[in-house]
Amino acid sequence: MIRAIIIDDERLARNELKKLLMDFPEIEVIAEAANASEGVEKIDSLNPDLIFLDIQMPGKTGFDMLSELERAPNVIFTTAYDEYALKAFEVNALDYLLKPVEPKRLADALQKLQLEEDKEPISEHTISVNRSILSEHDQVFVKDGERCWFVKLSDIRLFESVGNYAKVYFGANKPLILKSLNALEERLDEKVFFRANRKHIVNLRLIEKIEPYFNGGLLLEMKGGEKIEVSRRQTVKFKEMMSL
Amino acid sequence: MPKNASRYYWLCQISGWGFLGLVMVLFSSTFEQKITVKLIEFLAVVVITGILTTHVFREVIRRSGWLMLPVEKALPKLLIGVLLTCVVDSLIRIVVVDSLGLSMTRQKMDFIPRLLATTFDNGLLIIPWTLIYYFYHYIEKSRKQQLDTLKLEALVKELELKTIKSHINPHFIFNALNSIRALVDENPARARTAITELSNILRSSMQAEKLETVTFEKELNIVKDYLALEHIRFEDRLQIEYAIDEDTLDQPIPPMMLQTLVENAIKHGISKQVGGGKVKIISDFSNSYHELVIQNTGYLNGARNGDGFGLASTKNRLQILFGQKANFDIREVDGNTVEARVLIPIDQGK
Repeated sequence: MIRAIIIDDERLARNELKKLLMDFPEIEVIAEAANASEGVEKIDSLNPDLIFLDIQMPGKTGFDMLSELERAPNVIFTTAYDEYALKAFEVNALDYLLKPVEPKRLADALQKLQLEEDKEPISEHTISVNRSILSEHDQVFVKDGERCWFVKLSDIRLFESVGNYAKVYFGANKPLILKSLNALEERLDEKVFFRANRKHIVNLRLIEKIEPYFNGGLLLEMKGGEKIEVSRRQTVKFKEMMSL
Repeated sequence: MPKNASRYYWLCQISGWGFLGLVMVLFSSTFEQKITVKLIEFLAVVVITGILTTHVFREVIRRSGWLMLPVEKALPKLLIGVLLTCVVDSLIRIVVVDSLGLSMTRQKMDFIPRLLATTFDNGLLIIPWTLIYYFYHYIEKSRKQQLDTLKLEALVKELELKTIKSHINPHFIFNALNSIRALVDENPARARTAITELSNILRSSMQAEKLETVTFEKELNIVKDYLALEHIRFEDRLQIEYAIDEDTLDQPIPPMMLQTLVENAIKHGISKQVGGGKVKIISDFSNSYHELVIQNTGYLNGARNGDGFGLASTKNRLQILFGQKANFDIREVDGNTVEARVLIPIDQGK
C-alpha cells in the first residue's frame, strides 16, 4: 500500500485526482492539503510515501514547500501549464502530470514509482529507522534560484560550510542550501557522512584517494576532484572508522 | 515619386528663370525706358544658359549623391560646384552673346575682367538657386526620415497589439478544463454552462485579432464568463463585484483589454492570497472620460514589474486608438487593494 497526500489549492482538482486514483487500489489517499503550509504540516505528521503536488499555489509554490522539508518524499508534480517551472526542473523528479490528467499517464507514473520501490523498499525502512536520521537512500530537494534538484544523499559527496549556508556538491552542481553544517551533521548518518574538519562533511563512499598530510592529518581527494583536509583530531576518528 | 518630382523640378526651373527674365525686362523698361529686341534676346540667352547650366549642375549633384551627405560634408562640395557652374555659365554666355552680337556693354572690356564680372553676376543668381535647391531637398529628406520612423513605430505597435490580443493564458484554459472535468460528475448542469463560457472566451479571443475596438458590453460579457470559470476554480476564495453604469455599455474599448487586466488581477492578486479575495469592476463616466476600474485584493510590490510589457503596451495601445488623452495607470489603494484604471476620452471614440 502506498500512502499518498494530494496538495493542490483547488478542491475540484483534488477531487478529480482522487477520482482518477480510485482505479489504483494500491494507492491510498490519506490526506489533502490546500496550500504549502498545510502540506508541510501533513507531511511531517503523516510521513506519506508519495505526494501529488501542484506547483502554482497561493503563498508558497510547490517548489518552495519542498525545499522546506527535511526529507523529500516521492513527488509527482501536477500542473496545468507551466513550461518555465518544468524547464527549471532537473530531470530527476519522479514525474509530472499535466492537468487535466490523462489516466494512461497517471498509470505510467505510478508504475515508475512501483519500480523504484522494488529497488529500494523505501516505505519499509522509513518506518523502521529512527525518523530523525536521514539514510543514504533518502532524497532531499534542493532549490537554488531558478533551478531545482532531487538528490539522493548517496549522490552527495561533500557539504561545505559557507557562512549560514551549506554548499552541496553532487554531479557537476554545487547549489547552496540554507542549513548550517552542525544541523546537517546531526541529521546525517554518521556511518556514511563524516565531519572532516570545521568546514566540511564528506561522503565516505565517494572518496577517491587518501593521502597522509603534514602535522599528522590526512588529505582526501573526492570523486569530483575536491581536496579536503582532515583535521588532526578527526584523523584519529577517521582511522578508527576505516580500520573497522 | 521620381516622375512627379521631375515635373515639379521643371516647373520651378522654368517659372523661376522665366520670372527672373520678366523682372529684368520690367527693370530695364523702368530705368532705361526702352525695350529693344536686342535686350529681349540678350535676356533669353541669360535665362536659357542659366536653365541649362543649373540643370547640368543638378544632374551632377544628384548623380554624386551630395544630398545624402551630412551638411558639413555637402557644403564645401556645393561651394566648388557653384563656382564652377558660374564660370561655365559665364563662358557660354560670353561666347553666345558675342557670336550673336548681343553685347549690352558699350565700352569694350578685356576678356578676364569681363569673365569675372559675369561670373559675379551669375553668382547672384546661381547661389540662391543652389540654396533653394539644397534646402528644399534637405527639408524633404528630414520629413521623409520622420515619416519612415513613424511608419516603423506604427508597424512595431501593430505587432505588439497582435501579440497582446492573441494572448489568452494557456494556464487558465487547462485549469478550466480540469475543473470542468471534475464538475461533470459533481454538477453536470454547471459543467454544461462552463463549457459554453469557455467556448465564448476562446471564440472572442480569436475574433479579437480582427477588430480595433469592441463595445464595452461585449467585452464585459466575456469577462463575466471568464470570472464565472475562475469562480469554479477558486470557489469561495474569489468574490466578484460589478458596479457598471448601464450607459457606458455602448462605449468602444480595445478588445481583450479588460480581459487581460482582470486576468492579471486574478493571477497576481487573488491566486497569491491563501485566503483569496475580491475582484471588483467599475465602469462609469467621469468628466468627459469613460472610466474603467479593476480592483483586486493583493499588493503591487513589484509583482507586476515582470509584466512591464503588458502595462506599457496597454497604455500605448489606448493612445494609438484614442489619442494622447487616453490613459492607464495602476496603483495600490487602502493597503491591500490594487487598482488598475483606464481613462478613455468619450468624444474621440469611434
